[in-house]
Amino acid sequence: MNYKEHSDQDLVRLCLKSDERAARELVERFERPVFSLVYRMVRDRELAEDLTQEVFVRTFNNLERYDRSYKFSSWLFKIAYNLTVDYLRKKQVKTISMHGSPDAVTPERQEATSLSLESDEESPDAMVEARELAGYLEDAIAQLRPEYRTAILLRHVEGRPYEEISDIMGVPLGTVKTYIFRARRELRDLLEDRWDDGDDE
Amino acid sequence: MNKNIQVRTGHLQAEELEALAMPGDHKLPARSSAHAADCDRCQRDVEELQTLHALLQALTPLQPVVGFSDRVMQRVRLPLPWRVRVLQAVRRHQVATAAAFAGAAAAVGVGLTWIARYPELTPMTIAAFLVQRSTALMWSGVMEVGRFVYGSGVLETAQGVAGQVTPVSAFVAVATVTLIGLASFRILLSLMEIDPALVTSHLRLRRRVRG
Repeated sequence: MNYKEHSDQDLVRLCLKSDERAARELVERFERPVFSLVYRMVRDRELAEDLTQEVFVRTFNNLERYDRSYKFSSWLFKIAYNLTVDYLRKKQVKTISMHGSPDAVTPERQEATSLSLESDEESPDAMVEARELAGYLEDAIAQLRPEYRTAILLRHVEGRPYEEISDIMGVPLGTVKTYIFRARRELRDLLEDRWDDGDDE
Repeated sequence: MNKNIQVRTGHLQAEELEALAMPGDHKLPARSSAHAADCDRCQRDVEELQTLHALLQALTPLQPVVGFSDRVMQRVRLPLPWRVRVLQAVRRHQVATAAAFAGAAAAVGVGLTWIARYPELTPMTIAAFLVQRSTALMWSGVMEVGRFVYGSGVLETAQGVAGQVTPVSAFVAVATVTLIGLASFRILLSLMEIDPALVTSHLRLRRRVRG
């Protein structure tokens, strides 16, 4: 059976029959988007991996409670959002730079918690520029409130519609629109220098 | 009114800006496109949103460490089919299961022995006996409840209270009952380890699906 061709809902049905390969396929299908979202919320690689792991464990351990009228990915993102926001609230995690967690006291720990950026650009100059720009953007995103950060990442990076973001975050549609509007404005302000450079070029 | 001569006065709304800056998401009415073409402010807003969207789209998707899915799978407990769950429960509680089986077997044995002592009993007469007994039991229960209510003075108390009800006392009573109900519901949710936010979002989703 080729699990890659199955829809999310089919895989969930197979998981409910204890099919481990279906569960593995769902993990592999969603580990990148969920990890990306969680990482951009907590900005610590090890912590993001632990939280992402917990997201999947909670998802599968509560699969019988999953309402099939809901998109599986929305349910997964909802669990990821709730878990990460709960963590941020409890631990009062500081907003940090892409160069690693502020709690990293050794170079190894700094390396472990820092964000590794990849680029498909061939020219070294373009690669450096792309890394630099991505770094600025990541730093700007990290300065947003967690709610704004989640909303704008789900909208622009994951391409989720407003209604789905509203369900994931558990807030009214109007609030999601406000979050996204304010997040865009704050990003625009935070990236003002780079933005103007881009306009000049 | 002829729609062709309607003139748009305000600037583009957020959804309209998105439709122009992030194509593929929505269809934009011709009037809005025409406005965007003529309005410098809206053009600037569209360009800014296009730039931001392109920058965010270009963010590298991040990848957890190699072997991440293996680590997850080691901790995952997938739901088991009911047959497997029954078998597991039997294995876990072997003594209790054996006792339950022995009890059930003894009950069936005693019943069969009793029936064998009375050859006039047929399945029909046994069924009729059971129906008659259960109906009699139900009626006696209803009669007992009625007798209790009548004898306890609850009716007299209710009549007395009804004579003194004012709009304020009725409101206070209803509010109190509602608050106690909501508090009980919250306690029930916390006992069942259900997040109340999940219930509200679930209800909202159901409304949306039905609507």
